[in-house]
Amino acid sequence: MQLTIHAKGEDANILSFLLAKHPERLYEKEHKGHKVRLFYQTFTPNEVKVTIYVVLDAISLVRDSGEKLDITHYINDREFAVSSLFLSLIRSSLATALNGLPKEEYLPYVRQVFQFSYSFGPVNTDLSVENLRELFSPLGFTLSVQTETKNSPLYVTVTGETTLQKGLRQLFILIPVIDNYKHYFIDEKEAEKLQRFGEGWLDDHPQKEWIYKRALKYKGLLDDHITEHIKVEKEKKQKGLNQLRYEKIIEIIQSKPHLRKIIDMGSGEGKLSTRLGFLPNVSEIIAVEPSERETLKAKKRYAKAAENPGFLMPMQKWGSVFYYDDGLKNKDVFILCEVIEHIAEEKLHTAMQLIFQEYKPAVCIITTPNKEYNTLYQLGESMRHYDHRFEWTRAELLAWVEKMTDMYAYKASISSIGEVDHKRGSPTQIVVFEKEVMV
Amino acid sequence: MRRRITLPNAGVVLLVGPSGSGKTTLLQNLVDSGQIKDSEILSSDKYRKIVADQEYNSVESTDNKMAQILFEQYQRISKEAFELLELTLEARCRLNKCSFIDATNINSDDRKKLISIAHRHHLPISAIVLDIDLDTLLMRDNERVFPRGSKRIKQQMKRFQYHKRYLKTEGYHQLHMIKELNHSVEIERMDEVPPIDVGAGIDIIGDIHGCYTELLHLLEKLGYEENEQGLYTHPLGRKFLSLGDIMSRGPRSLETLLFFKNHVNNNLAYMIDSNHGWKIYRWLKGNQVTLQHGDELTAKEINQWLATYSEEEQKRLKDEFIQFLGDAPAHYIIEDKGVPMLVCTHAGIKDEYIGKKSQQISDYCRYGESSSRMKDGIPIRDEWYHHHTGHMTIIWGHDPRPYPTTINSTINIDQGVVFGGKLTAYRYPEKSFVAVDALKNYNGVEHNPIIEWKSKRLLPPNIQALIEGFRIQMEEFEDVSVKGKYVKPVIGSLSTADTHFGQLVYLPPTMSPVPIPSQLPDYLEHPIEAFKYYQDNGVNQLIVEKKHMGSRGILLIFKNEEVALNYTGISNLGAIYSRSGKRFFKKDIEERILTVIQSSLKENDYFGKYETDFVLLDCEIMPWNLKAQDLINKQYELVAESAILDRKILDQALNESMVENQWLKENEEKLERAESFQKVYEKYCWEVSDIDRIVIAPFHILAHSGRVYHENPHTWHMTHVEELSNICSIFRRTEYLLIEDESDWKQVINWWKEITEEGHEGMVVKPNQFTVWEKGKLLQPALKVRGRKYLQIIYGIDYLEEKYLERLKKRNTKRKQKLALQEFSLGIEALNRFVKQEEIGRIHECIVAILALEGDEVDPRL
Repeated sequence: MQLTIHAKGEDANILSFLLAKHPERLYEKEHKGHKVRLFYQTFTPNEVKVTIYVVLDAISLVRDSGEKLDITHYINDREFAVSSLFLSLIRSSLATALNGLPKEEYLPYVRQVFQFSYSFGPVNTDLSVENLRELFSPLGFTLSVQTETKNSPLYVTVTGETTLQKGLRQLFILIPVIDNYKHYFIDEKEAEKLQRFGEGWLDDHPQKEWIYKRALKYKGLLDDHITEHIKVEKEKKQKGLNQLRYEKIIEIIQSKPHLRKIIDMGSGEGKLSTRLGFLPNVSEIIAVEPSERETLKAKKRYAKAAENPGFLMPMQKWGSVFYYDDGLKNKDVFILCEVIEHIAEEKLHTAMQLIFQEYKPAVCIITTPNKEYNTLYQLGESMRHYDHRFEWTRAELLAWVEKMTDMYAYKASISSIGEVDHKRGSPTQIVVFEKEVMV
Repeated sequence: MRRRITLPNAGVVLLVGPSGSGKTTLLQNLVDSGQIKDSEILSSDKYRKIVADQEYNSVESTDNKMAQILFEQYQRISKEAFELLELTLEARCRLNKCSFIDATNINSDDRKKLISIAHRHHLPISAIVLDIDLDTLLMRDNERVFPRGSKRIKQQMKRFQYHKRYLKTEGYHQLHMIKELNHSVEIERMDEVPPIDVGAGIDIIGDIHGCYTELLHLLEKLGYEENEQGLYTHPLGRKFLSLGDIMSRGPRSLETLLFFKNHVNNNLAYMIDSNHGWKIYRWLKGNQVTLQHGDELTAKEINQWLATYSEEEQKRLKDEFIQFLGDAPAHYIIEDKGVPMLVCTHAGIKDEYIGKKSQQISDYCRYGESSSRMKDGIPIRDEWYHHHTGHMTIIWGHDPRPYPTTINSTINIDQGVVFGGKLTAYRYPEKSFVAVDALKNYNGVEHNPIIEWKSKRLLPPNIQALIEGFRIQMEEFEDVSVKGKYVKPVIGSLSTADTHFGQLVYLPPTMSPVPIPSQLPDYLEHPIEAFKYYQDNGVNQLIVEKKHMGSRGILLIFKNEEVALNYTGISNLGAIYSRSGKRFFKKDIEERILTVIQSSLKENDYFGKYETDFVLLDCEIMPWNLKAQDLINKQYELVAESAILDRKILDQALNESMVENQWLKENEEKLERAESFQKVYEKYCWEVSDIDRIVIAPFHILAHSGRVYHENPHTWHMTHVEELSNICSIFRRTEYLLIEDESDWKQVINWWKEITEEGHEGMVVKPNQFTVWEKGKLLQPALKVRGRKYLQIIYGIDYLEEKYLERLKKRNTKRKQKLALQEFSLGIEALNRFVKQEEIGRIHECIVAILALEGDEVDPRL
């Protein structure tokens, strides 16, 4: 990780005072085992070239990260890439320049404009070179990159007329925006200080909102309402179909008042179970989920729902349809809402056997995507979710349902959820299996 | 006059009689004539001496008060003496010893106390009563060194006579009354449960239930031959032993009974008591019993048979049966070189019952015991065998299971032949099982334990038995416990895996690197430390195998879909999965690979040659990028390119530096290392355009039908791999070298250096024997020694820099080693359970345990 500052222009050698670094000495400073080094390559009255780089202590880098480690943490581009980590390590060495506070006699030069080139790298980014230009051009820089192949790390040079302080401050904001890494190593205090660096230019930047969005990774850097806005937008798209599924399931349950004990298998973060908790006839909800993250989310959701009157707290169970659980036997409703398409077909077979032969619910409700509808989403051949093992057409679902009703003492009906396309059906299909009563 | 008294080898014998009746003399004679041991006598006088330095003190005095005080003193001493005596007696009872109580024992209450001790330990109690007339006693007392005095003798005599009447009702196994002074007693010692010496070997047979044909098949399979008298004898002199329940339910109970009666009487076989045997015994004796559970069939057979005889003959035959069944002991102990190795019982036994005999023990051995208790609100079925400790193996039947089940040094060999299962024999000293299939199911479908087992075998694992943590008891290894907090994420992860639980039958253990870092300055790991580890543990013959750099994969391939369905519950050819239990390839690619392998194996009659329905292989699957492409792109490639770019550009800049410095040289070295790093992993990657570019290197043949190969030497495994690689080109051999002793070390080290300098990962050092124990502890089954270059992709590009290496050498592999052993044990246990076709849940708990152990926070670089 390195940054080379190349300045041309009359009195360019004043830079050594603005940086407070002697041109004929090597600068080295140690911080937690990491070494910050600075040296000059050129130093003439009209031209100065100076490089600052960091030799990272790889071991203490790992030790500081404070998370549960897997093997990938040890081989890490953080040791090399310019990033917020790099910036936080060199910041105090460049403090004089960043703060614009050299010795009093050089103060006037803080605002002195030179012809600057800032070169830094390696840069690991998911942004295109075009994206990078969109970031730097409005600030008056031209940008060039050096790289091996299309996906290789970049060495970036931005050139333009600016002051040392302004140029550095802009880099201190934009480098973390470019870097595509989760920022493990930055604390909130750091973020506040960095916010200062945006003063006077960031507000006018045409990519301002986008820079903020990328900088979301910094806690506290962004106003809360912007975060909220982005989140709401994202949820809006999803909501429609989910809502319809839940409504349909609830409609089925409410149409038969004797259905009181419900299992929500694969309950995820508990959205459906929360709704079920408000149904008047329901006397028991068992929400089964094997993921820790989702279980914790659901727990919060239920606790919040419980603040309202008339909420029946779902019982959370750790498990899945691949494990037998005595407590799931002979309930009224067994729901698999958007679950089966996540199951490999061999395993699904065994799971259905468990449900229909051991658990024997009165009703089993299953929802799953209709593959035919994917064309309308312009998904091409790909599935709706990376974790889907399959998506069925209406005919495929029908064939499967018929196989089930042949094997087990259940009858079934299929219907649609969501807007129906006359050619391709609805986005979601729903099957209701009902236990056949022996006459 | 001579008296012949039969006494148990283990038990309590009370001597009863007033002072001077000759108790001590009688015992001393027995000691002198070598019939009993001195140490078997617990004498109250001796205990008085132990606690108070005096055997006896006179309580006679003219002064009443003085006499009272002396008596009080005597009582205090006696109290302490008896307490100590009883403690000793209890200890001896626990150890199954015989004890003669040399005290007056004239009070019935005193005797009852001792009787209850004997009962508590299920030992027989006898009494030898010396009923001598008063005149003789008084005369003898006068001759003593410390006469007790006539007053006390008279008192004692009075009490003795008074309490004598209770003797008959106190419940002695034997009561001997001796009235003459000059008696001579001869003792005959008897074992309560006489141990069987293993002799030429013994074959223990599970519940037969009248399956006479199967019994004869089994005996023939075991090598027994019918002689002219119709008796089955073994050419080597082996004997067979039945665990009882030889009759009822099945078709030919009478013949089986006659067969055993005959063989037991001819000293060719043994049979122990059992619930059905006891029922038939009582029925024959004319007791009121309800004949059910097939006993009615036995009774019918016997009645029909008896009807062909005269009344007199009938009585004789009946009595013979009664004698035969009544004599069957509750359990047998089998000794090998005088050491009790096996206990054979029908339904179960408690450890403290072993070697003893009582009504209670007999009942326990006939019916066993199981109860339910609650632990943390969860009912736990508490079977007797969970409480067995120690190394004596208990062989039992009664409770049919589809396969011999080993739990906690107990082995159940009732495989429900009468229910259509198998008739099993356990051979000792071979410790092997031989079984024959039932010709048919004689018991119908209802309440058929074997059919119930089979139908339930493929049920999904019960989550309640796993989720809060659990403990696994293993056939060959120490128990392993896993905590709920580690289990939960595993359940989550396995729930998203595509591998069907029926196919997920093994996961490979983690492997420890060399436990001690290299003593050489520029190496972190070096083979010499691995060789020394094994040498220090007494293992010289080692195998070193080249470590392929790919991804670990488990390969399960069945002969055909039908047998697969039977084993796993799904009918496909098998599965290939990673060490986390996830499907290794996409489904269609997996199918293609399995098809290629299976058809090659079939063409070469592999399944026929090895008489197996499947083969299970532990492999490395290459190239590395098959599984690791994402990791390579996002991690290694990016890191390498970043490092090289960074260091190259810095190199130019430092070259232009105005001030001369060391940084340039330092950076040059770093650049070199970055370039070497890039070459390391490039070697492990190649493009896979089709499955013919995939290479599978098996290194353990884990299992075939009914067999787990963890005791076959690695050289066997390597030869077998060679055979596989000749059969199917997807399989690759693994290069290896053998080490016989220290002189081979150097050559192996050179080889290691050579291949690792080329960038190969390194090698694995294993004892050729596969599973090795040293002083009762399992040794590491393998240690990895990774190359210097390879370790760059583990520890970082610059790990060999002195400042890093110094810190890295402080690494601790203890935890890793422990995990490696536990996971190894669990893997073998899973295999054992799989080849026996135990329930999926029993196999799955091992899998969950391995993954849960992997969830432990251990440095992943080890």
